[in-house]
Amino acid sequence: MTANTASELPLEQTVSPTDELTVAALIGEAHKSGTPVYPIGGGTSLDYGPQPARPGIRLSMNQMNRVLDHPADDLTITVEAGMTLAQLNRHLATKRQWLPIDAPESVRATVGGIVATNACGPRRYSHGTIGDYLLGIRAIDGCGEAYAGGGRVVKNAAGYNLPRLMVGSLGTLGVITQATFMVRPLPTHSALVICDLPSFQQAECLLAALGQSRTTPMIVELLAGPALPFCPLPALPDTAASRLAVGFEGSAADVQGMANVLCDEWQALGADGLTTITRARVDSAWNWLSESPAMLQINVLPSRLVGVMEQVAWLMAASPLQAHAGNGVLRIYRPSPPAPLPSTDEGSFANLVQNTLRPIVTAAGGHLTVLATPTGVELSPAEIWGPPRPGAALMRSIQQRFDPAGILNPGRYTL
Amino acid sequence: MNRRKWWDSLHSAHPTDNFMNFSSQDNTNESGEDNLAAGIAYDQLLRCVHCGLCTSSCPTYLETGDENNGPRGRIQLIRLVADGRTDLTDRMRHHLELCLDCRACETACPSGVQYGRLIEPFRQAIEAKDTRLEKRWDIFRRGILLNLFPYADRLRYVLRPMRMLQRLGIVSAIERLGLLKLLPGRLGRLAQMLPSPTRPGPRLPKFLPAVGRKRARVAFFVGCVADAMFRPVHWATVRVLQQNGCDVFVPRGQGCCGAIHLHNGDPLGARRLADANLVAFELDRYDAILVNHGGCGAMLKEYGHHWHDGLQPHRARFADKVKDVHEFLDNLGVVPFSGRIEVSATYHDSCHLTHAQRVASAPRRLLAKIPGLDLRELPEAGICCGAGGTYNLTEPEMSDQLSRRKLDNILSTGAQVVLTANAGCLLQIQREVRQAGLGLQVMHPMELMDLSYRGEKLELKAGSEKGKMKMNVS
Amino acid sequence: MSNTELIRKLRAALKPENVLSVPSELVVYDCDAFTVERHIPLAVVFPRSAVQVAEVVRACSDHGCPVVARGAGTGLAGGCTPPPNGVVIVLTRMNKILDIRLRDAMALVEPGVLNLQLTNALSGTGYHFAPDPSSQGTATIGGNVATNAGGPHTLKYGVTVNHVAGLEVVLGDGSILQFGPVEDPAALDLARVVCGSEGTLAIVTKIWAKLTKNPQACRTIRATFASIDDASQAVSQIIAAGIVPAALELMDRGILDAVEAAFALGVPPEAAAVLIIELDGPEAGLDSLLEQVIALCRNWNPGEVLQAKTPAERELLWKCRKMAVGAVGRLSPGYMIQDGVVPRTRLPHIFRRILEIAAKHRVRIVNVAHAGDGNVHPILLLDERDRDLTARAKAASREVLEECITCGGSITAEHGVGIEKIELMEKLFAPADLRAMHRVRQAFDPASQLNPGKKYKTICQ
Repeated sequence: MTANTASELPLEQTVSPTDELTVAALIGEAHKSGTPVYPIGGGTSLDYGPQPARPGIRLSMNQMNRVLDHPADDLTITVEAGMTLAQLNRHLATKRQWLPIDAPESVRATVGGIVATNACGPRRYSHGTIGDYLLGIRAIDGCGEAYAGGGRVVKNAAGYNLPRLMVGSLGTLGVITQATFMVRPLPTHSALVICDLPSFQQAECLLAALGQSRTTPMIVELLAGPALPFCPLPALPDTAASRLAVGFEGSAADVQGMANVLCDEWQALGADGLTTITRARVDSAWNWLSESPAMLQINVLPSRLVGVMEQVAWLMAASPLQAHAGNGVLRIYRPSPPAPLPSTDEGSFANLVQNTLRPIVTAAGGHLTVLATPTGVELSPAEIWGPPRPGAALMRSIQQRFDPAGILNPGRYTL
Repeated sequence: MNRRKWWDSLHSAHPTDNFMNFSSQDNTNESGEDNLAAGIAYDQLLRCVHCGLCTSSCPTYLETGDENNGPRGRIQLIRLVADGRTDLTDRMRHHLELCLDCRACETACPSGVQYGRLIEPFRQAIEAKDTRLEKRWDIFRRGILLNLFPYADRLRYVLRPMRMLQRLGIVSAIERLGLLKLLPGRLGRLAQMLPSPTRPGPRLPKFLPAVGRKRARVAFFVGCVADAMFRPVHWATVRVLQQNGCDVFVPRGQGCCGAIHLHNGDPLGARRLADANLVAFELDRYDAILVNHGGCGAMLKEYGHHWHDGLQPHRARFADKVKDVHEFLDNLGVVPFSGRIEVSATYHDSCHLTHAQRVASAPRRLLAKIPGLDLRELPEAGICCGAGGTYNLTEPEMSDQLSRRKLDNILSTGAQVVLTANAGCLLQIQREVRQAGLGLQVMHPMELMDLSYRGEKLELKAGSEKGKMKMNVS
Repeated sequence: MSNTELIRKLRAALKPENVLSVPSELVVYDCDAFTVERHIPLAVVFPRSAVQVAEVVRACSDHGCPVVARGAGTGLAGGCTPPPNGVVIVLTRMNKILDIRLRDAMALVEPGVLNLQLTNALSGTGYHFAPDPSSQGTATIGGNVATNAGGPHTLKYGVTVNHVAGLEVVLGDGSILQFGPVEDPAALDLARVVCGSEGTLAIVTKIWAKLTKNPQACRTIRATFASIDDASQAVSQIIAAGIVPAALELMDRGILDAVEAAFALGVPPEAAAVLIIELDGPEAGLDSLLEQVIALCRNWNPGEVLQAKTPAERELLWKCRKMAVGAVGRLSPGYMIQDGVVPRTRLPHIFRRILEIAAKHRVRIVNVAHAGDGNVHPILLLDERDRDLTARAKAASREVLEECITCGGSITAEHGVGIEKIELMEKLFAPADLRAMHRVRQAFDPASQLNPGKKYKTICQ
């Protein structure tokens, strides 16, 4: 789905180091010569952020993909940053464990990249995001010096929370080389309860009621617009405006019990057309909900989500919409089947973002982010992320201290 | 060292221990035997490990957020004086005087620091050594606190004209106009505190026989203020005891428990009163000596460790016999209540009952057995209402803050009746309710139990329009 | 500017009743619950708003004197011991719950709100605030944020940082910033970096706290063991079996003596250690999970396994556990409590080493532990007046923490570094790691205005 390929970055050379020392040496050299370094994991987010303007080195982390330490009985694992989420979970599954977070394209997405972009998915409702599992980190700063933060134990108050600082920093504070995660036991069963709703108002009603539900949902997704490709779920009927999908995980008894309770609760609220999906089909549905990369992301408070989503659904009727509704995260996908984006008066994508969507989101007290700039479009940082934040000076000051020469992913983040 | 020098030493160098040798403006320079802390149990000071888990139980800390007004800070202040590292300053004295002596911190303290045994002797020593003129010639303290309050007969005599005015509706008119506030200082507050006029009823007879199967022989302690102002509560209590198969004796010659004297710096006066009680009650004749007000009960139970003279073992034996009436009935097993009382009520813990005597669940258990009663838990039930013995007279500002806080909590429950088992709390909450014009009924738990046994209904008062609004809002 | 002038300025900014400057009133602010090191502050102020906090910080900054924020002063590592010539900013008068939004599962509170006060305010809503440090009845949420406080239930629910959605803070230059509560891809996650920074990066003036739904049901048991070794083996096995209880706590005989004296829990005297295990979640699967846990305990010969049958029984168990540290006053006039953490597989080892270290230094050590997290709290009994004993306790303390580092653990899980563990930071972290931290600190507080001398030594930077 990515618009740009790595080759489109202005890269003079590509290196794929296999150990941290090599990464450090490389960055140390780059620091001296002032050469930009663009760290790349699975390459799933190359079209996120402004395209790099300065030629530099493509630092591929793919070769650094080993498990360094997996004390399974302690439920922690330390891996190199280039390991993909799918690889990691395959390894953990041998001990009936997993890292219960989602990231689109998990077969390609590396843990380092997920940390750097703070990628997430439906499970964030119950399990949180990668930062909630990141116990420790090692990285190489802009001078080529390795530093570590956190540790390998599940609870740690020594030092500042450098792992959290790295989350979402887009590689501007250092090239992540290792990460330690807390892991969880693998659940044995899951189920998905689906409800098609004639109006967004009704969706809000059911979402609000979840707060008092006797169940413990793992995911709370609200879908609207055309379905994404390869949808394993029945198509949204014409009479429905949106579809609520609530998932459960746990033992067979837990899952079935909670699915039944939720159906009862919803029926009591007047919802009909409920479907419960279990066994094999649930996995494909669940994967489909977490694997697709989105074009735009909106973050608002959960209570404001449905209102914003309704407006976006009307404005961008050709785009599939998916909300992690319990968290106030709305993801907007490219039109499906492929179609031109809705045109505005001036007709440009930038105009759609700046003058149509962003005012709606800002009015709801949220943030709009362009996760993937369409091919052939050039956007400024303000168009991608919105105006600079009040804390921008502080953040820039932090970044400059980690990368005084400004060589780590320059120009690709707000800093 | 004067203040200037102190500042210099503070800022001249890195702080060190000689830091603590500061002196106060009102220098009284004590040491050794003369130390204000000579009378306190030093081991109790050592028990405090400075964890701070007590602070949020302390009403004055909750109101001010200042460690100086919390138990941990006060213990530190006392220890500084005890260790001879500083003299007592006016500010320190103020913080120690602001303590309500509610002992909520004792309940909270996991290390079992007996805070009362620190603050009480320390404050007595402060009082005893207070040479300031205004304290010496404090007519209010000498005339009213120490010589009027503790004597039920004198108090009743003095209250008679007041009651007359009340009955004629003059007091409430004056109160409505806010004129009571014009009375000088504490006298004015005292007048505001007076309960509304009810027929006090006759004096309790010497003996009241058990109803039904006889289960215990008990002596009943009547006290001073409690008898003068809340005699109907006494009557209700003895009737409940009779219903529970108790032969109730009310020995003559008993008087005030001595708490007012003790807490106002007159331990000898308190001892005189205690010893009168010692004579009045023939211990071997009774299974227990029962008290229905928390403050008196706490004092009686502590007779054993306030004075260390030849009579100390007798006082200790006396103290062992003392039981709170709720505690006693809960242990005895209460005879089932008969009448339904269909009201909502909430129970406020009197400090001296819940913290000093650790009687908290017994009254709740008894009340829960009254058929029809909707008992609602009061938020911050164990936080002082601001009465604090005579605190409402000596620290009016803080007392008012706390009673407002208490009323807000009471209103949040939506209850129609507030129950509490201590004269001070009853007076304080009644005043707060009256001033707000609320229709809330303030009662002693025994009164409600008595109504149930007698099969009578509780008549609820209506509040003023303003008061009704307030209740609806909350 | 002289100190007198600074105090005049503070009084003007805050009103005189919110400023303490008389020596005999300052003395009670010379330490928190870590009493081994004390400094009397220059002044103590009680601001009532972020703007007032900012004014104080600016005034102190002009005067060149450092500030330290303080909540309830229940910290165990000296995190709010005043720096020399410092001003203490007490946040207890900023104690309002400003907003509770159940639809967003969030509450907006001022830093002086007590942890339990928030949970009490939520009673009946079906939500609670998950971090539950043992001091939750008195500790403020601002203090919880500063130390990234934990508690028994962090095993399943995570520590404070996992429950903070946003913060309003005052920086060392007096500027006021807001991070969150809406997640912002265009910004670094600074709210969560401030969490656990012990007042060295910023002073927190508002907290958007995430609320957690109450579990549908829970089961709480108490199991006794003949040795602390058996108990810790059982813990390791429960974790290894992939069970994540809501809480998994350990107390040894020594601390049980204090707890028995305080609350009469009724643990048989022959028991050398007790585990408190709580499971929560949907009612359906809970009993079978409980059986599984009990079966795992049975491998280590438990004396008795009792289940709390009523909420009151459960409450008593938790009261005993949470008040345990405070009850140490029944054993000794003073103590130092440590806060080491090791991988859960190394629990039996660390307890064995603690016993050896206690013997070696002739110090009595009693133990409580958030065992499920690998978080041990050895409590070293001492009397500050006995200098030799205090010195031995300090040495033993250090040795325990060094052993935690050797095991691959850390020197603090939830109490923070404060001044108490500052010497050990260089053992735990490489110089480059500390330099990285210092970059963050310098960016937030270039003039070293906020709580200097805490967290790690800045001299070497």
